Amino acid sequence: MTGEQSTQDETMNGVLSVDELERLKRGLHDLPETMPPRAVWHRIEEQAKAEGLLSRPVARQRIKWLLGAAIAAAVVLTVLRMPGVLVPESVEQIAGDSEFPATPQSTPSNSQTLNALMVESQQLEQNLRAIPYQPRLMRASTIATISNLEDRIAAIDYQLNHPAIRMSPAEKQMYWRERVRLMDLLVTLRYAQAQRASF
Amino acid sequence: MSRFADIQIDEGVVKRAARGDVRAHEIIYRAFSAPVYSMCLRFTRVPAHAEDLVQETFVEIIRSISAFRGEAPLGSWVRRIAVTKSLMFLRSAWHKRGQSLDDDFEDTTAGRPESHGVSSNPEHAIDLDAALASLPSVSRAVVWLHDVEGFTHKEIAGLVGKTESFSKSQLSRAYQRLRPLLDEKSKKEAAEKAVNKPVLGSC
Repeated sequence: MTGEQSTQDETMNGVLSVDELERLKRGLHDLPETMPPRAVWHRIEEQAKAEGLLSRPVARQRIKWLLGAAIAAAVVLTVLRMPGVLVPESVEQIAGDSEFPATPQSTPSNSQTLNALMVESQQLEQNLRAIPYQPRLMRASTIATISNLEDRIAAIDYQLNHPAIRMSPAEKQMYWRERVRLMDLLVTLRYAQAQRASF
Repeated sequence: MSRFADIQIDEGVVKRAARGDVRAHEIIYRAFSAPVYSMCLRFTRVPAHAEDLVQETFVEIIRSISAFRGEAPLGSWVRRIAVTKSLMFLRSAWHKRGQSLDDDFEDTTAGRPESHGVSSNPEHAIDLDAALASLPSVSRAVVWLHDVEGFTHKEIAGLVGKTESFSKSQLSRAYQRLRPLLDEKSKKEAAEKAVNKPVLGSC
């Protein structure tokens, strides 16, 4: 607002002098601001999400994680297929050969191990489903750990199920073994949490 | 100038918000929630109503930020939404009570006016806040919009859905009510000055 307009308004009102008006305006400007309660943002976020106005960061992180995992897996596969490249000890042990071939061959023991890992993974999934639903109140660190584990399992599932990704039996075993390990951690964590919540 | 105009938001944040990025919206909320809430609280005087208005304002921001072209500062745009929501609320309250905006000044606010917060000059801030709170809702809104946010009478008339004369008359009557307070305040200030004035030449 211009000074000229201000004077016009003041003259029109004929109530306050210029000095009084200035003091009033200064006083109003100096009035303190108040922060709304913290819960207000959560209400806004919930409503906006319910209306589909906001993107969910967790989902985006998951996509990023999957993409990252896909790139990492592609690099690992390329390295494993290079002749003369040393393979990780675990894969070597799984293959059961002292001289690890560039592309590991399927053997009866390999397929048995793979089947055993798949059964174990399935069993862990059942155990996870049997645990009562997670309590509403959780520590932020617990949520982050669970979310991280779920993301990593999802990334492995993506690798194992994507039709464009071809894996040797040894590589499959490596992924399944990791899946079992992560599932085991997730079940343990969820179980401990359910126990804590029951008290 | 209004506090809204002083708040600067990075263009990248606005772009991310336009894509529905929740973190970008949180940044905008953190920046503007205090001025929006304070204004809504001064208009409504009821914290629960002010919270609802903040929610409505920011959901509207989330809903329509993709249409924000950046021709005016973001603060002005946010303020416009908050003002519109607040005035809509005041109007709806009027409708519920079967009154018109013209009756506003006759509806004198009974009881002790609520006061919110303190400032660097607490006594004066509380006095002024209380005096402002004692005004009827629409007059309070007109005073705030005109004297703090810098809206013209024409703009206020458009927002309230009344004539410019209505806005001017509301402001004039509000000043009449606030004047005794200003007189009292200036007397207090003069008395304080006189007390604190060093006495020269004594002894």
